[in-house]
Amino acid sequence: MSPEALRALDVRKVYRGRGSPDVEALRGVSLALRRGERVALLGRNGAGKTTFLRIASTLLIPTSGQIEVFGHDVVSTPEAVRPLIAVVPQEGKPFFHLTPREQVYCYLRARGLPREEAKARTEASLEKMGLDEVADRLSVTLSGGQKQRAMVATVMATEAPLLFLDEPTIGLDPFARRAVWDVLRDLTRKGCTVLLTTHYLDEAEALSERLYIVEEGAILFEGTAEGAKRQIGGTLRVSIENGGNHREQFASFGQSVEEGNALHVITEPGRIHEIMDVALREHLSATVGPVTLEEAFLTIVGRSIDAE
Amino acid sequence: MAFGLRWGGTGVFLATEIRVQFHEWLAIVTGTLTPGALLIFVAILAPELIAVTLIGSLVYSMFLIGQRVLNEAAYIRIDHKLNELYHASPLSPEAYFVGIAGGMLVAYLPPSLFVLAILEILHPLSFVAWLVLAACLLAVWAVSSTIGYVVSTLFKDMKTIWPYSALLTNLFGIVPPVFYPIRFVPTEWRSLVLLLPTSGAAVLVNSVAGLETISGNEAILAAAALAVESVAMFVFGIYWARRMARER
Repeated sequence: MSPEALRALDVRKVYRGRGSPDVEALRGVSLALRRGERVALLGRNGAGKTTFLRIASTLLIPTSGQIEVFGHDVVSTPEAVRPLIAVVPQEGKPFFHLTPREQVYCYLRARGLPREEAKARTEASLEKMGLDEVADRLSVTLSGGQKQRAMVATVMATEAPLLFLDEPTIGLDPFARRAVWDVLRDLTRKGCTVLLTTHYLDEAEALSERLYIVEEGAILFEGTAEGAKRQIGGTLRVSIENGGNHREQFASFGQSVEEGNALHVITEPGRIHEIMDVALREHLSATVGPVTLEEAFLTIVGRSIDAE
Repeated sequence: MAFGLRWGGTGVFLATEIRVQFHEWLAIVTGTLTPGALLIFVAILAPELIAVTLIGSLVYSMFLIGQRVLNEAAYIRIDHKLNELYHASPLSPEAYFVGIAGGMLVAYLPPSLFVLAILEILHPLSFVAWLVLAACLLAVWAVSSTIGYVVSTLFKDMKTIWPYSALLTNLFGIVPPVFYPIRFVPTEWRSLVLLLPTSGAAVLVNSVAGLETISGNEAILAAAALAVESVAMFVFGIYWARRMARER
């Protein structure tokens, strides 16, 4: 068996427009996941994350390139890949007229798990996702967050060797998000590999051992969250309110990025005094903090993750 | 594994669909309203045609099951994305298709059993007529389930699908001689309506039940058409399910 859980080589996807221009959703994406890793695809809406995930999970055929899951080609041998994977689709919802308990159990049985094992895993998964109290209520009566948790519980319970999660915590409250993170960490400890897409920077940082930053169908960064922060040339960020008009004055201190009215300067601790002096002279207010993944993203991509 | 087909999990997915439908029991009951209303009209206006209308109700209900496949398959694909959950799993696309179609058949069968009981009271059928009825209903289910499933994959919005569902139901279930005898159809149209799976099935059962007379050639035409259509459509449905499990 292949040592890698997933390997993608130069994957391209062009959606042919019918009466409208073609859309190149992926422009030669190459990446690899080791077994037992948690990896995030981080990017803005429309960056190509979901397209990649759908190709890797045998739901979409690429225009060119190759993806192997545990050594099986997803295009030519999807039957070999499908027992090894499970997917939480973006904006997926459980059967509204099943209870979460029925939903998880029926899915596990459809995947071929024996009755007793399916029952045990159903109970464990519902408990981990905090759904035990609503396990026998029809999903149609659940809140949006509970429905999403039921979807995640369904897929977690499979303990498939490779799990794809497309924006799995969207619409969840902070407690529920952390419950999902805990379950994912638990699964990777058991040997599962996880590839998730997210546009939550805190999620990518807290959960993934490595991340890929995707923009306009291409990978702009590969590494750890710490690596992304280091790459941008400093450990501290100085945010200068209304600093956009003074960009040139701050140019020598390090990389700078404008976001709205603010100018963020990425620099080293030794230069903070000089920057603050310039800011005070110009009557600008400034705050200092550690570089976050948000600044790293902004610098690498050139746009905020929330920018349309 | 014939032709690479994999049926593992079909029964479980079928049972899942039955469970989903039974939680929505009101839809099963309201599904009987159209044939029920027609039965009442016929019982009042032309009681001599009640047996023909009962057989028509059975054929129509079976065709309606296919339209329920259309709505269910579209709903769980467009609104819930559950097709992705299942397609990216060991459950094969053919098992998914047959699971939905079979689940709808079983879930929506009880009202038809009630109609069958009335038919048996008002116009008892011979053993051969029962066999022909069962075969014809199964063939209509195969054709309409495939039509329903295929149409469900062609659109991206539920609202776009609803008119097609109504159109198909009327085109196959109301306009041709399903609820009324074929003798009301002009001679030049008879061959055409015998080629339609719904009217062909209704005419065959009516004929075997002694409710109307058709020629030997017409019986052969209707039976052959129904057999070919049901087998060909079901095979196409499986092919289509496999094709649509992966977008291009």
